[in-house]
Amino acid sequence: MAEPAAAGAAALDPLEPRHLVAPHHDDKSLNDTLLDFVWQKPGKGWLMLFGVTLTALGGLVLGVGYTLAKGIGVWGNNQPVGWAFDIINFVWWVGIGHAGTLISAILLLFQQKWRTSINRFAEAMTLFAVMCAGLFPLLHTGRPWFAFWLIPYPSTLAVWPQFRSPLVWDVFAISTYLTVSALFWYIGLIPDLAALRDSSKTKLQRILYGIFSLGWRGSGRHWHHYKIGYLILAGISTPLVLSVHTIVSFDFAVSVLPGWHTTVFPPYFVAGAVFSGFAMVVTLMVPARKYMGLRDVITERHLENMNKVILATGLIVSYGYMMEHFVAWYSQSQYEIWTFYVNRAQGPYAGVYWLMIACNVVTPNIFWFKKARTSIPIMWVAAILVNVGMWCERFIIIVTSLHQDFLPSSWDIYTPTWVDWTIYVGTLGLFGTLFMLFLKFVPAVAISEVKELQQELKHAAHHGSSHHGVEQAAAGTLTHGAH
Amino acid sequence: MNTKNDSAPSPGTPSSFALPVVPAQAAAAEEHGHGHDHAHPHEHDEVGAALDHAAGAGVATEGGYGKTYWRSLEERLGKPEYMETVGPEFPEGADLPPTGFARREFMQLIGASVALAGATACTTRPSDERMVAFTKTPPELTPGNPLHYASGMTFAGHTSGLLITAREGRPVKVEGNPQHPVNQGAAGIYEQAFLLSLYDPQRARVLRQGKAPRSVRTLAEEIAGLVGKASTGDGGARIRFLTEPNNSPVMGHLRSRIQQKLPNARFYSHATLTQDPSHEAAQAVFGQALTAQYDFSQADVILSLDADFLESRPANLAYARQFAHRRDPKMGSLNRLYVAETRYSITGGMADHRLRVRSSDILGVAAAVAQAVGGQAAGLASAAASKSAAPSGSAEKWIAAVAGDLRNASGRCVVVAGERQPAAVHALAHALNVALGNVGKTVRYLPVATESTGLAGIRELIADIKGGKVDTLVITAWNPVYSLPVDSGLAELLDPKHPERTKFTVLYTSLFEDETSALVDWFVPAAHQLESWSDGRSFDGTVSIAQPLIQPLFNGVPETELLALFLDEPFRPAYQILRDFWRGQAAGVADFESHWESLVSVGIVPGSTAAAVNVAANTDGATALINGYQAPKPAATGQYEINFVPDYKIYDGRFANSSWLQELPDPITKLVWDNPLLISPRTAEELKVERGDVLEVSYGNRKIQAPVWIMPGHADGAATLPLGYGRTGLHETTAQGKGYNANLLRTMNAPWFDGGATLTKTGETYKLISTQQHWSTAGRPVALDFTVEEWRTKAGHGIKSALARTRGDLDAPGNKLNLMPPFKYDEAEYKWGMAIDLARCTGCAACVVACQAENNIPVVGKDQVSRSREMQWLRIDRYFTGAGIFEGGYENRASPDSEPQIVMQPVMCVHCEKAPCEYVCPVNATVHSDEGLNDMVYNRCVGTRYCSNNCPYKVRRFNYLHYTQGKQPTEKMAMNPDVTVRNRGVMEKCTYCVQRIERTRINARIERRKITFEQSAGEGKQGELHTACQQACPTQAITFGSLHDPEARVTKLHNDERHYKLLQELGTQPRTVHLVRLRNPNPALAAPKASEGEH
Repeated sequence: MAEPAAAGAAALDPLEPRHLVAPHHDDKSLNDTLLDFVWQKPGKGWLMLFGVTLTALGGLVLGVGYTLAKGIGVWGNNQPVGWAFDIINFVWWVGIGHAGTLISAILLLFQQKWRTSINRFAEAMTLFAVMCAGLFPLLHTGRPWFAFWLIPYPSTLAVWPQFRSPLVWDVFAISTYLTVSALFWYIGLIPDLAALRDSSKTKLQRILYGIFSLGWRGSGRHWHHYKIGYLILAGISTPLVLSVHTIVSFDFAVSVLPGWHTTVFPPYFVAGAVFSGFAMVVTLMVPARKYMGLRDVITERHLENMNKVILATGLIVSYGYMMEHFVAWYSQSQYEIWTFYVNRAQGPYAGVYWLMIACNVVTPNIFWFKKARTSIPIMWVAAILVNVGMWCERFIIIVTSLHQDFLPSSWDIYTPTWVDWTIYVGTLGLFGTLFMLFLKFVPAVAISEVKELQQELKHAAHHGSSHHGVEQAAAGTLTHGAH
Repeated sequence: MNTKNDSAPSPGTPSSFALPVVPAQAAAAEEHGHGHDHAHPHEHDEVGAALDHAAGAGVATEGGYGKTYWRSLEERLGKPEYMETVGPEFPEGADLPPTGFARREFMQLIGASVALAGATACTTRPSDERMVAFTKTPPELTPGNPLHYASGMTFAGHTSGLLITAREGRPVKVEGNPQHPVNQGAAGIYEQAFLLSLYDPQRARVLRQGKAPRSVRTLAEEIAGLVGKASTGDGGARIRFLTEPNNSPVMGHLRSRIQQKLPNARFYSHATLTQDPSHEAAQAVFGQALTAQYDFSQADVILSLDADFLESRPANLAYARQFAHRRDPKMGSLNRLYVAETRYSITGGMADHRLRVRSSDILGVAAAVAQAVGGQAAGLASAAASKSAAPSGSAEKWIAAVAGDLRNASGRCVVVAGERQPAAVHALAHALNVALGNVGKTVRYLPVATESTGLAGIRELIADIKGGKVDTLVITAWNPVYSLPVDSGLAELLDPKHPERTKFTVLYTSLFEDETSALVDWFVPAAHQLESWSDGRSFDGTVSIAQPLIQPLFNGVPETELLALFLDEPFRPAYQILRDFWRGQAAGVADFESHWESLVSVGIVPGSTAAAVNVAANTDGATALINGYQAPKPAATGQYEINFVPDYKIYDGRFANSSWLQELPDPITKLVWDNPLLISPRTAEELKVERGDVLEVSYGNRKIQAPVWIMPGHADGAATLPLGYGRTGLHETTAQGKGYNANLLRTMNAPWFDGGATLTKTGETYKLISTQQHWSTAGRPVALDFTVEEWRTKAGHGIKSALARTRGDLDAPGNKLNLMPPFKYDEAEYKWGMAIDLARCTGCAACVVACQAENNIPVVGKDQVSRSREMQWLRIDRYFTGAGIFEGGYENRASPDSEPQIVMQPVMCVHCEKAPCEYVCPVNATVHSDEGLNDMVYNRCVGTRYCSNNCPYKVRRFNYLHYTQGKQPTEKMAMNPDVTVRNRGVMEKCTYCVQRIERTRINARIERRKITFEQSAGEGKQGELHTACQQACPTQAITFGSLHDPEARVTKLHNDERHYKLLQELGTQPRTVHLVRLRNPNPALAAPKASEGEH
């Protein structure tokens, strides 16, 4: 894809080879470009895609309804394999969510400017992914109508949850994660909602956007509070990037099962989460930027940066695999060796295992090459493969550890049913539907932040200052606002 | 997705107690000759009319079986015996002196049954004289407390002495009568399932003639007319009875009285498996038909010639216990078991040396052993050798070793032949026992307790019917149309299309509308044995009085009452018939009432156990017998021997409608809900088939299709077809459509095995469902199994490593490996623990069914088992070990020449001290009790299944669906009220029968004492607290008690040298210990490598 910005790249600072924002925009054109998609009539493409995701969402309703009516026996879970698609999908979705938090919070704190064009997008993804993830722990209980017993509340039964169980920690982790992500996303959205209100063409739009923009007028005082609030939320979110998936990994690591009982799990799960999250961002962003005309604000540089993160986290994940296998061998535990070297690598699910290795260990390594990092088709395929690979990883961790554990007499095979698939595809539908709505009703790129960045870049260019200077300028905007 | 059980409780089955549902075939039988139309299975208006008729008849018969008719006459006559019959003004027994608790119990029971019947309000039974309501609750009956009654269970000519637990008037659990010499408190799987058959909602409810409902009175009038005519005419020459082999004194008495009235009537018997060959051989060898009784407790060396004596009825419970005592090093030196057999049997699994040979070669093996042993046996050997050559090759060495061992153990050994073997093999076995001096020591000969006419009788009966000599055929034997060999001709004769069919009338009584009932003229629903009074002998002659525990649920007629109709006498209820008979037997007893009460309450007639008969062997007769034996033709190339065996789960099919047994994993194959065709790995290789491939078996001119299951240890060149499946009984919906019917290949000449079958691959496959996917231990120290020598030296790497990993000292107080503080039990009154002795366990699975019955464990059906969701809390892991069993990867492979051994390992929740399930449950639904139980709180469980995932023993069971939904009212009656019936989405598992613990604790507390526990195996103090599995176990392999009691057997076993803890290396510290199994191989034979943990 020939980027207009790429031509001028050579003339720029060697450390900043590509534009973060295409240079031909001013504030107005940015506003118009970025709000355009919201004000447009829904196009054919959008409607078709929305139809597809809505259909899948219907499948979810069907699958969940059937499950609630009959019991989770309609899934494929069985005696040795007590958890399967339910927890696989849970972990997978939670992991996907991590990119958003990482981009929004950690990169904000580290003042990585390139995050501005993609953070809204990634945050929305986090929010929707966590919503999908949150469905599963609830659904997978045998008696979901009593699932609230996992919440500590003073009840007349005088029984509290069992705080030694990681499942209780999960409740805290996921609910906190959802709350913080939602707040973070919403607060970041307020100035843009106000922009939408201001450019509304109908009364209804004006009223609705007016309500959601909470009376934002863009005053200095507003900006002041807004920036502080945003920063605080970023601070709160930052530990969540690490803690949520660490706790999810505890679901496995505190058990006695070979394949689960592994100390490397927390860091390796976090890396895996970021890995899959970035892959998902790339997967979604590549088509979105094309069809929504966002190429000027989501430039190749963004994509390349994300590919670098995918490469880095992919290497951490590979290291995690290596350590698992090493420790299994080093322990000389018969059960561990069976799980890692015999069952996973040669067993009935060996195909999934090798697919996982191919997707998660081999694929990211193509990003060592700049050509691959900057080629849209290659990165898109690679990102999809990483998503597949990470799903396989959860499958391998959960199913192969359970289906053959200690006593060979209990060994059995797990096969998913149509309900399992329907619910899985259904959550993709839920995610997609929410995402389509998100794209349609709010700007997918944080306009105010892009404009701010634009100003900073211009400012920096005027003064001919270095990248360092940009950061100073950015820091300055925190106090006196962009406009 | 099918979420409904295959067990077929419900919607499709008739649920109203009064609804007559009549099979179309029966209607056809009635209407034959009118060009009947099979295309209309149910004529609805006819059924409606039948219902009306039933309603009308119900009023007419008010007062009981034909009593309205007789009442006026007898009352006018005013004779005391008639008055008693008619039913006195006061409840029965009320006019007798109150002399003890038996009568009272009976009264309570009846009363409770009535109360229950009233509560369910769904019976149209006329009230009869036995029903009385409580005017005052009897002092014994406390609602909520169980009562126990002695009773019995009869099938195939043997009565098992039982003790039934009743709750509020309904029996809920079957256990062995501890005073019965055979049962000794134990009960096998059939006894356990006996209860379920009582409550089976698919049982027949309507007495019918053809399709029309009839009252008992109508039947009685019909029979009276027949008998009246026959007795004055030809003496009943045209009447035939086909019964089960008779072992009941009262039935014998009834029969002899019928014979007095109808001297020319004939009685024949049929049961699938009988002791007839053994009796025939004894007739030849000793000059009289005798039953051999073995004493395995005195036998150092045992040779089984295809005898599955540890499992095959009737003596299995007693034999298994005696045998197990000799496998326990605490109880003296170990015995040595040699088994020559075709398929892997439970007895074969206990063998020290097993020879896999085809059934037709067993005679050759026996002859070779007899030849080597010498004495009288050698005389028979040459005759036998001409009929069947001894197998060559490694078998010769085996036979020589066996003969040597037997000779060395003269007088301390036993040779047992199996029921499937012909009389010739039995004659050799008898002769061997004589030659080895075992008679009077390890073998005793008893008078035959069961009258049986065998297949010869069936031939005679069929010939008579064909010859037009029969007008009336009365069948009380179980389902002969299904269970007789296919060429018996009975099914064809009864077929309405048969030209002779109109010339005779068939009356059949059974618990179910089955294959036979579809073809008969009169069908009488039978009363279950727990609904009526009866008696019966066990194989050793011991008579049990079987008392009912409940009023007939489905208008069943007791067999004695039915047969008594042929006496053409005033009606007497079964109770009266039985009581009168025993009154006649107790001529010398002064106080009959108290005598009778003790008979009923103990359940056993004292002194009825037979004494041994002195025998003298005469080999000449036996030689003639052997010379007369028609050996199966040697199989030509490409032909195989086919073997028929009663199924381990459902016997010959009579338990096919029991969902407990259908879902019980077969002890050897671990298959459920199906019967496979068993072949050896080598035969599979020859045929190029794999598990689940469907083979066409053709034998004679008949063909059936059967799915293959490859069994290591099966004889090459042979196939085994278990009986009992492929049922088509009309209302037996649990049994319907399961497996294939092997009877369709059986012939009268070769009911058990024959050569000359061909097996052809059809290319189709069939999904056989096994609960254990993996054969081997994968080299893990799981089911420990060593030879005596290995155990004595403990030198090998394998044994050292296995013991280090499974014993260790993780629970030692100073152990630093455990970071969590130990639980303290000093304050607790009891500290529960269990011990399971693998040396004793045969894998018979009685414990599995007992657990299911005690703990209301649902049956989930084949589809759910195929998804690995079976619910049994207690499973028996069966591992193949030894050379040739592939241990490495996934495949269940055995080399074609493997000689595998089997280790059985019962596993249920081991109640870990440091339980992995407890700390992962987010809602505190599984917690540690202060006495060390790992409690499961069903109503707190939300069903995350984390506990199950984290359980290294995988003993937790999850209600994936609402398995207990849709139970019929009678099925609900089988539920143990002490145990919660679990809902969907709830985890469950073994509780160590906590309800039994609490009940015993309450009793002990009331009496201000501690619970007493079993102290030793065998005699010894038996204790008052048993888990259900422990109670059922015939070999006393399971022990339970408090580890605080140093005298308790469980404590001793926890300290036994053989104890080990399953997966102890994980730090779980299980409260259930297993005891290492020891094998005692003959040093003369290269010892097959026993299993061990290879690491």
